[in-house]
Order: sequence, then structure tokens, then C-alpha cells
Amino acid sequence: MAKDQAKAPRMLFGNKVVVFFSKPANVILVVFFVLLCMLTLYPLLTLVSETFTVHAGRESIATGQKRGTLSLYSFKKLLFTLDDGGEQGYKSSTSWIQFYSPLFNTLSVSLLSSFLAILFGGVVAWLVTRTNIRFKKFISAVFVFPYIMPSWTLAMFWSNFFKNVNVGPGTSNGIMAAVFGIMMPEWFVYGFFPISMVLGLHYAPFAYILIGGILRNMDANLEEAASILKTPRWRIVSRITLPIVMPAMLSTLLLVFASTMSAYAVPVFLGSPVRYYVLSTKMMSLMSTYKGQGYIIASVMIIFGVVILAINQSFTGKRKSFTTVTGKSSQISLVNLKKANWPIALILMIVLVLLAILPLVSFALESVIIKAGDYSLSNMTLDFWIGRNLDYLDQGDANGILFSPKVLKALGNSLLLGISCAVIAGTCGVLVGYGIVKRRGTWLSGAVNNLSFFPYLLPSLAFGAIYLAMSGKLPFINGMFALILIGSVKYLPFASRSGINAMLQLSNEIEEAAVIVNVPWWKRMTRIIFPIQKSSFLSGYLLPFVSCMRELSLFTLLVPTSDTLLTTMLMQYSEKGWDQFGNAINLLIIIVVLIINFAVNKLTGASIDKGIGA
Amino acid sequence: MPEIILENITKMFGKTAAVDHLDLLIHSGDFITLLGPSGCGKTTTLRMIAGLETPTEGKITIGDRVVFSSEDGINIPPNKRDVGFLFQNYALWPHMTVYQNIAFGLENLKWSKPDIESRVAELLALLKIEPFSKRYPSELSGGQQQRVAIARTLAPNPKVLFLDEPLSNLDAKLRLEMRTELKRLHLSTKATFVYVTHDQLEAMTLSTKVCLMKNGIMQQYAPPLEVYSQPANLFAADFVGNPAMNFIDAKAACRPDGSVGLKADSFSGVFMPDEKFKLDCSDVVIGIRPEFIGIHDEFQPGLQGLDATVYSNMPSGMETTVKLKVGETILTSVIFRGVDYPVDKKVGISFLGDDILLFDKESGLKLVSGSLKTE
Repeated sequence: MAKDQAKAPRMLFGNKVVVFFSKPANVILVVFFVLLCMLTLYPLLTLVSETFTVHAGRESIATGQKRGTLSLYSFKKLLFTLDDGGEQGYKSSTSWIQFYSPLFNTLSVSLLSSFLAILFGGVVAWLVTRTNIRFKKFISAVFVFPYIMPSWTLAMFWSNFFKNVNVGPGTSNGIMAAVFGIMMPEWFVYGFFPISMVLGLHYAPFAYILIGGILRNMDANLEEAASILKTPRWRIVSRITLPIVMPAMLSTLLLVFASTMSAYAVPVFLGSPVRYYVLSTKMMSLMSTYKGQGYIIASVMIIFGVVILAINQSFTGKRKSFTTVTGKSSQISLVNLKKANWPIALILMIVLVLLAILPLVSFALESVIIKAGDYSLSNMTLDFWIGRNLDYLDQGDANGILFSPKVLKALGNSLLLGISCAVIAGTCGVLVGYGIVKRRGTWLSGAVNNLSFFPYLLPSLAFGAIYLAMSGKLPFINGMFALILIGSVKYLPFASRSGINAMLQLSNEIEEAAVIVNVPWWKRMTRIIFPIQKSSFLSGYLLPFVSCMRELSLFTLLVPTSDTLLTTMLMQYSEKGWDQFGNAINLLIIIVVLIINFAVNKLTGASIDKGIGA
Repeated sequence: MPEIILENITKMFGKTAAVDHLDLLIHSGDFITLLGPSGCGKTTTLRMIAGLETPTEGKITIGDRVVFSSEDGINIPPNKRDVGFLFQNYALWPHMTVYQNIAFGLENLKWSKPDIESRVAELLALLKIEPFSKRYPSELSGGQQQRVAIARTLAPNPKVLFLDEPLSNLDAKLRLEMRTELKRLHLSTKATFVYVTHDQLEAMTLSTKVCLMKNGIMQQYAPPLEVYSQPANLFAADFVGNPAMNFIDAKAACRPDGSVGLKADSFSGVFMPDEKFKLDCSDVVIGIRPEFIGIHDEFQPGLQGLDATVYSNMPSGMETTVKLKVGETILTSVIFRGVDYPVDKKVGISFLGDDILLFDKESGLKLVSGSLKTE
């Protein structure tokens, strides 16, 4: 008897492995653990090692060492050169200009813009979910526009609208100056203020989606209970509603902070003209000269991201558990805005029109005028859309964008990329969600959960840079394959979030009922689990698609030529000053994204705002 | 002490009426149950009285104050109606401790700190939850959460208390225990209780008066024992009572002596009504509570009765439910002792007492009660 017991553990080990892998959830978790380590942690290590390496070019010349040598040069130069004899003390030192000042700018821009986003998005979310405000459908449909549109859209609109010959390198007047004759001051057109405003407005819908989801799930009885106990309205909001949604709000704040921190396109449009740098733009400019220092900045941004994730995690699992927040919500009685209803609705509509519709009008306008700054009818043409043989324009393309083989090819590539990433990331998201929820509480499940969220915290630009560095070592990572790979990894967090949420809402019994009658795993997934949570899962497909279609910074370092994708083509055009084509392509991207978003929404009920919901 | 009056209350959700022209008078100190199957409008009615839902039409008065009137455009918000509300899922605030949850309402009333402290201590003792005052709701069991919710509702001494299926989330044993305590609380607080439930046993045991509803329309409003013995219609007769009442279709014909001759599929009999009534239909339904069907182990010639066979037998110790087959009809009988009849045993049955009911088959309304003898 005793002998048997001693033998048992060894005998069982083999069995244990077999039993472990007989559960599909375990197989999924192990496979994704390995895959995600290779696709996120390994690149990260590559990045760190690059910061200690001397690169070819100026670094090699400055240090007098061969490329590939290990050296602390980049660190010394970027972080510890606070006094190099300049006239203005530390303010003219290399470290200040290249690192500390952009760092300071990044933090202040992120702080202000995430605060703006939460405030604006939160207020609208409360109005839409908890009051009887008018035009609800219109408001919630149009409010997400700025988030669906590429991030530089608003920046481009801002500069289209406010630029004038007095500020920055501007040589032409925007709508404000040309039509109304108002010259806005420089601080309003370029730099800290417009960047924060534009980022805040761009991410407000994101905050709206997250906070709206929380409010929608919050049991209205909690507020009604306070109301019965004679609590004034403002006190209900301040003592009940806000504290209950606070942890989720903070986590939203952190996510928005992380996103704004890694924003690239907006600071390029609104900062670079007046040499206002943030970490991301600084990193991009260093990548061409001092790669090592660029990689250090990328690492700093990643460290910020990880710290934010850690803080975010510490909010969950506290004593005052807020699990009841996701409880069933019965009938919700809406706050009656009474006389304030019309004015608030009207103001909100005007703001939305300014934010979501006017930019589109401005792009349409800019894409049909021949000479910049002249908005009269005689100066308009549709040549940039449907013209042929436009050699007289000398703008890089002889045909309007709808007939240009170059543009159509790029459109095809963008669609291919978007669809591939959506299929890969979406499917992985479903699987990861299944594995994580089924094995909740285990170490492996937690690890995969964090790993699958990790790419979210890697700034797109830095992520692109890492894969560029990796492609040097692994030559098969190139062309479309590299783009699809990085896109799928980068947007996995969206898909896995909606996968996890969808799975959490499904009770275990639903699958167990099928297990009992011996339905094989893949059939359970395709015939039971997926159909039940179809719209949640499909949101996990939709988000990567939309994000890919409008993504620039992630791909810009990896595209074979700038003609490959619509977004990179757009960037090239606007750098070269081919504004009409640029605006037309921008409008084309937005329209494609909106149409597909709308079509998917109508056909399947999936929508962006269902995807991330806390 | 207030009296609650509902006049002509209607609530439309789109085109369907959740509550349809409801009139209700609740006396002060009553324990009223709104009873009915799910979707009958009982919770909506409760929420309308509390002010959490706005009626489409009608008038509600609490005490001498009109709190809602569609005609005069009056709609006093819930926080000004001086009522207490106990939610089905408790709705405890997850970010506050038990103490804070209970004290919150008193702070709103600007009570002084010592007053709040002594009142909360009193309630904690009353509901036997003193040890948990520093805990958060998520750290309590369902029954403890329920007690905290009750304490929170009682704290400001509301004159009117609304309870929305408060016991439905508890297990059977706790439910019984809380039922006892709710009844005692009603007596000690002297408040008016309005209680929503779909559980007819809860309604029977707790309330002074039951308001039975179906599809938004009130079916009967009477003390529980009256609803049980003199149900207003077939629905009320069927909904209240467990096991359910036996219903037998029959043809009726008046006889000169005031009795009614009944002809059912499996037997015929004569019905002696308790009071004079006019029979203006021939299709009737006989309603017999299970406890009014007596079983005799052997058919005795002197006793009027029917031949029956035991279809199934379910003894529960204190009582035994027996399903009996008479011709093609299955009848349910309850006898108050434990007996184990073998299936297919031949027995004799008779209809006891004078609480046998006659219903009009077409309208479903109760006609009269009386006694029934087989022929």
C-alpha cells in the first residue's frame, strides 16, 4: 500500500500532461503564451539590446567604434548631457532638447488631453445613458466619428481651418483667415494647446465608449435606492454614481493617457511646424540619425506603458469589490433634463457637427479647389477625383484618385491588410478569450491575459521600429507579411478584450450542456459559443479592421514604398504639398471606414462601441 | 398615518398596457401584497407608487397629499414622497461599508451625528448584523446583504414601505426565516407595507390583504383567506393554493327545490348553494379544493360517493397528496396524515363541506359556493 503511494506521483506525471492538454483551453493558452512571448517579449529584448549597441553612421563616427559594439554612448548622450557649455545652461543642452523637454511636453499634453477626453466623453456618456436628452441616436452615432476617423483628421482640419500666413511656416490662409479674416495667434494654431485639444477630442469618443458601457451596466437600482432616501440629484451623482464608476473611470483615464502618450500623427501636424516636439516625434527624427537614442526613447515610452498597466491592475481586486456594477440592470428611469433639454441637446449637436461633420466638408472643399486659399466656385474642379491626364497640375499623379491605378492599388492593399489583420486578430481574440475565461484564476491564464494586452501599451511607432530592427535579423519578416503580422499583434488587445467580455457573460453550463452530449470542441465553438455572443465577438473583428485602415505610425517604418498603403500615401502627399490629392485620399479612407463600419453594424449588430466596453 | 389611493392608474409601454385602469385603496397599517405571475404589472405598480416610474394616466394619493395626477400635472419625485423601498437585488452601494449604507439616508435628512450613530446601532441590533458594520457588501452572504438592505430602508422610519420581491434571491430556509421577521417588523414599525411577489404562499402568510393581478388588470382584492376560499374567478382560484384546485366541466340545470343538477363526464351530482342565486348559463365549472375530497379506504354503501382508483400517491409526512382517477378525470386530494396507498387501489371518494364552488365557464366568474353530493 505504502509502496504504491510512493510510486504514484511519478506514474501520474505523464498522465497529468495528457490530461492537461486534453482540455482545449489549456492548449490554446500554452500556444498563445509561446506565440505572444515570441511576438512581444522577444522584440522587446531586441529593443533593449539595441539601446546598448553602436549603430552605423553618426553613432559610429562619434564613438569611433564599429557598429554592433556594446556601448553606453547613447544613454550618456541622451540622458546625462545636461551641460555641454551652451549659453542658456541646461536649457540648451543636448539631453534637455532631445529628451527632457519632449518628455515634459509629452506628459503635459497627455495629462491635459486625457483629462479633456474623460470630461467630454464622460459627460456625453452620462447624458446619453442616464438622461432623457433629445436626439440620442444621432448623438451616439455621430460622437464616435472622430474615433473612427484617422487620428490626424482633426489635426489636419485644425490646421486647414486656423492656419494663416502670420504663424509657423504657413504660406497660405486657412478657412478662418480667408473667409472670416481672423488671424489666430500661434499658440492657438500650433504647439501644446492645439495638440492637447485635438488629442482630447479624438479620444473623447473612446472615453465615451468605455464610460458609457460602465454606466449602461451599472444597476439603476443603486441610484434609485439613494433617491428614495431623499438624496438630492447632485449628491446622488457625487456620492453614488461617481464613486461606483470611479475605478473604471480611472482605468479609462490611464488607457487614454497611454494612447495620447504614443500619438504620433497629431504632434507631427501641429507641433513640428513650430519645432514643438514630444517623445514620439523626437524618436522618429532620431531614428534616421541616432538610432540608439531613438530606441532609448521607445523604451522609456514602453516603461511608462507598463507602469500604467500595473497601476490599472492594482485598482481591480480591492476590498470594495465593484463586481455588482456589472449586475443586471432592470428598468432605468432617466433623469428629466426639463427646460435644459433643448439647449444642451442643441449645443451638443453644434459641437458634434463641428467635430465630426465639418472636417469632412473641409476635406471635400480642399480636394476640389485649384489654388489654395481661394474658396470661390470658379476655383473649383472635380479633376482631383475623376479627372484624367492631369499632367498640367504636376502633382505626382496624372489621374483623379478614383481612376488612378496607384491609388486603387493602395486601396486594395489597405483593404487586404485590414481584412487579414481583422481575421487573424479577431479569431485569436475569440480563442484567447475562451482560454483565459475557462482557466480563470490560474497562473497561465493571468500571464496570457497580460501578454495579450501588452501590445496595447507599446507605442505604435516604437513597435514598428522594433519590428524593423527584427526584420534585419529575420529576413522573412518583410513586405505585406510584416505589415499583417505587426497589425495582428498590435490589435490583438482589442479583440481579446471583447473575446474575454463575451466569454464572461456566458455561463459555463452552456458549454457543459454540449460537453455532456459529446459535442467536439470545435463544434461547440462554432455552433454554440460563437453564435450566442456573435455581436460581441464580431466587434473584436471590426475594431482591428477599422484601426488598420486608418493606421499610419505603426506601418510607416515597415512599408516597402510609401505608395503601398493609403495612409502612407496620404502622408507622402501632404509632405510634398499635394494638398488636393491628400485631402481627397483622406476623405476616401474615412468614407471606406464609415461604410464598412455601418454595413457590419447593420448586418450583424456588432459595433465599435460594443467592443471595448470595460 | 397615510392611506394610499390609486385612481384609474394606467401605464403604457409602447402600445401594451402594463397596468390597466387600476383602482386601489390601501389603508394605513395594512400589509398589502401585489400578487401575480411575472409580467402582470405588479412591480410596475409598486414603482409607480414610489415615483420611480411615471404612470401614463391616473392619480395617486399618499396620505392627504396628491403625489401624482396626470390631469393636474402633478408628479412629486421619489425623494419627496416619504417612502421606503426595498429592492429585489438589494441595491447596496458597493463602495460603502454596511454602516455607511445605513447611515447615508439619515445624513440626507441632516440628522445629528450622535443620532445617526444610535439609530444605526439600533438597526444593526434589530437585524442581528452588528458584527458586520465595517464590512463591504461584497463581503457578506446573500442573507446578510438582505438584512443590511432592510436596515437601510427602515433607518429613516418610513411610514410607507415598498418591498419588491425581497425574498426571491434567498434559499428556502432563509426565506422562511426572513418571512417571520418581516411580519414582526410590520407589527413593530406600524408602517404600511406594500409587497410584491409571485409566490402565493408568501402572499397568503404575510399579508392582511392580497391584490391579485393578471395582465395589468386587478382580479381580486381581499384578505388572503377570502381569496383562498371565495376566489372571484377561475384565475384567482387556480393561482392561489398548492396543490391547485380541481376544476371539472359540467352541465347545470336548476331544480324546483333551489338546488342545481350537475352532469359531468364521469359523474353526476346535486349542488346545494349557500345562498340564492340565479343560474343563467348551462356550462359551468365545478371548483373543489384538494382538501375537500375525502377518501374512504373502502366503498361504504351508506355513504354517498364515487368509485375511484389511486393514480399516484405522494406522502410528505404531515400530509399526503393523492391523485385519483374517476372515469377519465384526474382529481387531486390532500389528506392530513401520512398514508401510502398502493397505485391502482380502488377507493371511494366524497366531496366534503360547503366550500365547493361553481364558476361560469364562459366568463370565468364565480357564481356561488355550496355543497355537492353525488347521485
